[in-house]
Amino acid sequence: MKIAAPKGKLTQVKKVIAPGLSEAEAIDRAKNGDAEAFEALYGLHKRRVYSLCLRMVSNTSEAEDLTQEAFLQLYRKISTFRGESAFSTWLHRLSVNVVLMHLRKKSLPEVSLDEMLEPVQEDAPKKDIGSPDTTLTGSIDRVNLERAIEDLPPGYRIIFVLHDIEGYEHNEIAEMMGCSIGNSKSQLHKARMKLREHLKFSRAEKTAGR
Amino acid sequence: MNCEQLQEILPHVIDEGGNADADAHLASCASCGELAHDLKHIATQAGLLLPMHDPSPRVWNNIQQSLVSEGLIRGGRTPGSAGVTAFPQRVAPPHRAWTPLGSFIAAAAVLLLAVVLFRYTPSAAGTQAANQASASGDQQLISRISKGDPAVGKAYEESLKQVNSYIADAEKAAKDNSGDAFASEQLMDAYQHKAMLYEMAAARSTE
Repeated sequence: MKIAAPKGKLTQVKKVIAPGLSEAEAIDRAKNGDAEAFEALYGLHKRRVYSLCLRMVSNTSEAEDLTQEAFLQLYRKISTFRGESAFSTWLHRLSVNVVLMHLRKKSLPEVSLDEMLEPVQEDAPKKDIGSPDTTLTGSIDRVNLERAIEDLPPGYRIIFVLHDIEGYEHNEIAEMMGCSIGNSKSQLHKARMKLREHLKFSRAEKTAGR
Repeated sequence: MNCEQLQEILPHVIDEGGNADADAHLASCASCGELAHDLKHIATQAGLLLPMHDPSPRVWNNIQQSLVSEGLIRGGRTPGSAGVTAFPQRVAPPHRAWTPLGSFIAAAAVLLLAVVLFRYTPSAAGTQAANQASASGDQQLISRISKGDPAVGKAYEESLKQVNSYIADAEKAAKDNSGDAFASEQLMDAYQHKAMLYEMAAARSTE
């Protein structure tokens, strides 16, 4: 199964994480319980893990708890890391699973994850695709996009974050979330439509001089 | 193909490309064309979002405590702790003289901080000077790193390009939304991200 490559060119230049300590060395030392190695790995990956959690749950306190849990699971399982994939890929997938598990626990036991996350019909984007003069032709500044993502319903947000931001393929998302590929594609499309509505509205507000 | 038919296959068109009928409709229908453009643009911009936030120190504190209590940490006894395993006190790395590159990069990091502070003073001349200083510093950093390892220099160049683009977006948002705390926070995060790149370069230079 193809694992999406980790995003971010920074991971390519971050292999030396402290003077005289490469990531590979830190992993080996962490497997032997080296405290400084644990800390070094945390410092290297905390931002990406936390940003992922925050984007998926849109709550700083929850995101911090999930980050903590992801790293604890990492450290408990680090001896099983064999290097078949990049360490950051392995950690990233683990973090996604921690978040999804958390969301499953929040839902009713008999409700599956995708059922829990399915937005109510009032939230579903309308069929009207909008008139050309209020579309987003031109740049979307990333600050407004981040804000719009935060406001997405959870089901849409999770799929959007996993696919468009983190680069997972639909078959990987479907496997992680226990849904169908078609469901993943449908949710993604709805998420993008919802974002477009939100960004158009923000743009119209500004134009009106609010 | 009509608009409704196009919309049914639009997700496939955006992510995997369309067929001749779909392309013909998009070329001839302004509304569907704009819609497809916007959705593609959203997907593209999302792919450029960088991880921008750090967790608070309490996260690492909690992790440390758990690692110790679970016995996942071995060795590193603190003085007088009578066998209790704990994280060692942070030890300063062995002193190494700054290389000329390290000195330059540290100075550039300070300059970057000065630019950040300076840019909050409303002055067209100040903004222009800050832009020139930032671009010049980036170019010198890339040039110096590339001399040691061209592949790493290329990676830094790409990373700086991404983060500068993010800074430009964040500055525009902060300017358009004066007084908006979220926009200001995003701008500071973007600058901190750039400062982190300079710090990594400085760490590399002391190897």
